[in-house]
Amino acid sequence: MNVMTQLPVGATHVAALRAEMPHAVLEERRQTADQITVTVKLESLPEAVAYLYYRRGGWLSVVVGNDERSIDGTFGVYYVLSMEEEDRCYLVVHAKVPEGKEEFPSVTPKVPACVWGEREIRDMYGLVPVGLPDARRLVLPDDWPEGLHPLRKDAMDHRFRPAPTADDETYSFVNDSDRETTVVPLGPLHITSDEPGHFRLFVDGEDIVDADYRMFYVHRGMEKVAETRMGYDEVTFLADRVCGICGYAHSVAYATSVENALGIDVPIRGQAIRAILLEVERLHSHLLNLGLACHFVGFDTGFMQFFRIREKSMMLAEMLTGNRKTYAINLIGGVRRDILGEQSSRTLATVRELRDDVTRLVDMLVSTANVEGRVKGVGILDPQIARDYSPVGPLVRGSGHRRDTRVLHAFQGYRLTGLDINTGDGCDVLSRTLVRVNEVFDSISLIEALLADTPAGPILTEDFTYVPYKFALGFTEAPRGEDIHWSMTGDNQKLHRWRCRASTYANWPVLRYMLRGNTVSDAPLIVASIDPCYSCTDRVTVVDVKKATQKTVPYKEMERYCRDRTASPLK
Amino acid sequence: MFKLIKEIFRSGEATVKYPFAPLPMEKDLRGKPEHTPEQCIACAACTIACPPNAIGMTTDVEAATRTWSIDYGRCVFCGRCEEVCPTDAIRLSQEFELAVAKREDLVMKAVFRLARCEACDTPFAVAKEVAYVQEVVAASAPTPDEAEQRRRLAATCPACKRAHDVRQPAAFGVARRLEETRR
Ligand code: SF4
Ligand code: SF4
Repeated sequence: MNVMTQLPVGATHVAALRAEMPHAVLEERRQTADQITVTVKLESLPEAVAYLYYRRGGWLSVVVGNDERSIDGTFGVYYVLSMEEEDRCYLVVHAKVPEGKEEFPSVTPKVPACVWGEREIRDMYGLVPVGLPDARRLVLPDDWPEGLHPLRKDAMDHRFRPAPTADDETYSFVNDSDRETTVVPLGPLHITSDEPGHFRLFVDGEDIVDADYRMFYVHRGMEKVAETRMGYDEVTFLADRVCGICGYAHSVAYATSVENALGIDVPIRGQAIRAILLEVERLHSHLLNLGLACHFVGFDTGFMQFFRIREKSMMLAEMLTGNRKTYAINLIGGVRRDILGEQSSRTLATVRELRDDVTRLVDMLVSTANVEGRVKGVGILDPQIARDYSPVGPLVRGSGHRRDTRVLHAFQGYRLTGLDINTGDGCDVLSRTLVRVNEVFDSISLIEALLADTPAGPILTEDFTYVPYKFALGFTEAPRGEDIHWSMTGDNQKLHRWRCRASTYANWPVLRYMLRGNTVSDAPLIVASIDPCYSCTDRVTVVDVKKATQKTVPYKEMERYCRDRTASPLK
Repeated sequence: MFKLIKEIFRSGEATVKYPFAPLPMEKDLRGKPEHTPEQCIACAACTIACPPNAIGMTTDVEAATRTWSIDYGRCVFCGRCEEVCPTDAIRLSQEFELAVAKREDLVMKAVFRLARCEACDTPFAVAKEVAYVQEVVAASAPTPDEAEQRRRLAATCPACKRAHDVRQPAAFGVARRLEETRR
């Protein structure tokens, strides 16, 4: 008999960590069968994370800060690692930062993927990552007062809220090139778009030498809202609104995190319905991205055609959930609507139609002159860069890494069916696009299989008791990659902490490397290829370092240039 | 190119005539919640269930009224109100065209009269709610006397119930009833 099979999931990693770093592990707690939190000594944090990351096949999912002073007088920092090689599980490395000495050793020098998480903890909790090279703010605006850290439990009392102090943006963008470059700013705001971001492209003539960007212009403070004024069972509806495209994935991730923390077993049928709806969401999202890909290469007829068939997936959502986009179908413990016989047969008919439609459109797309030439070899994401920064979704799969939460950490309805991971090895825009095409077909097959095989039965359980100060992770594979939520229940039926990490958050840090070496006219195409919940970069600043000029180009003009590739706005 | 042209002919006209013709909706669409004040007993279940606090209630003791209100600008069309309402007074419709010229027009109100306490005559709960509770508790009473007793109990304000409990338990049938139900 194999001794390995008797060990609980993930135990080999903890044992290896203890062997590698004796005395570092202080405590080990298990949240679910495949989630373990190990508390390590603060000074051992970087080595522990780096060991698990590079030597045990870990990928960084999220870094969570938590104000636990009311519980044990410390702040908690949690590095969530998805262990994806052998003995797959989620392993969370936790360390306590004592009140009064609010700093911790930065992990970023050893594991670059931690950079955004640590910058965010510094902004939100005022804990200083010692040794973090990047001293800039990530989330807080430039004019935010020093010393006010919004997610601390004693911060943001509405009576003491200070007024903003400055009108100017003082953020300094990073340019690593050793040549002279021109700066191309893209952004910061487009009022009609949903997610503003400001890009700076540092160019030499038409070539991008380096790029930097900043996001979070419209940070909505959702985590604070959930922690202060919503009941834990109402947050599923807020989570639905994290994203305008893949909000349901967040709702499921949130609900699962609480269900895991409280040990709630969602009925099988409820789990299957969640998986079906997640796939419906993926259909509409991927079809949207494929449409946009056509648009950016100047093939607007393809764009129209993809949007025409995408409408069918929107109608599907409307029929199954009562809404085209914000499904609002989750409760803690299951879902609120069953899929009835007639709905089931209409769904099957629609996805069958979609399969034919997509087959024809993709055929048409690849046979259109120029399309392949325009996307092949553009926006290369080097697999090693990917390994260092832990991006997710079709982006990382397009660079050959087998990362798909649905398969590696099968959750909800995905436990009921088989699925393969689609990867591509081109590492370019084309490769990512083809991964998405294949995933559209997978989604259709998954929906068919789940509808056919799911047993009847209850869809919701109310058989549980709320217990304060329990925590766990919840995760889904959104169309753009893994969404991960870390929730800790609190008293008053409110969350003590809700950390929600959207997939694109993990994907931005590699974009810089993907832009380098490409031409300015490819920039919008590359940005679109990570499928940001649209890159609402309304203007671009182009700085030509050789000529030492700076020029702001309206985004529309950039987009036009990307499509037509004539009459360069830089001339 | 040939495939493209073929596809364009195949797909025909993809657009619809809306807004010049009505847009067909799925029958289970979660649209604007419609409130029927005639059916509402102002029990406040929906105000508690509503995640974004779109539904609220305010009480005016002077005027002896309680105002139920819904702000469609806050509503997220989740349908939790519909799920908890005991009298079917709020239902999600298929209406989705909610645009108005003024922000205030998104708020709808219903004013309810408060009932006065049988003992102290101060307004304490919405008259319809009291009547509804009286119906429910009296219906299960074994004798007409008992039913009457229960009706009076339901029409007494919590402050009076407490006071009677403390001061003169023997003098009031109501208070005795309370004691009994507790046991
Ligand atoms: S739950 Fe129904 S009866 Fe109660 S206040 Fe709301 S609408 Fe009225
Ligand atoms: S539909 Fe939801 S948000 Fe709207 S009033 Fe009802 S409970 Fe509130």
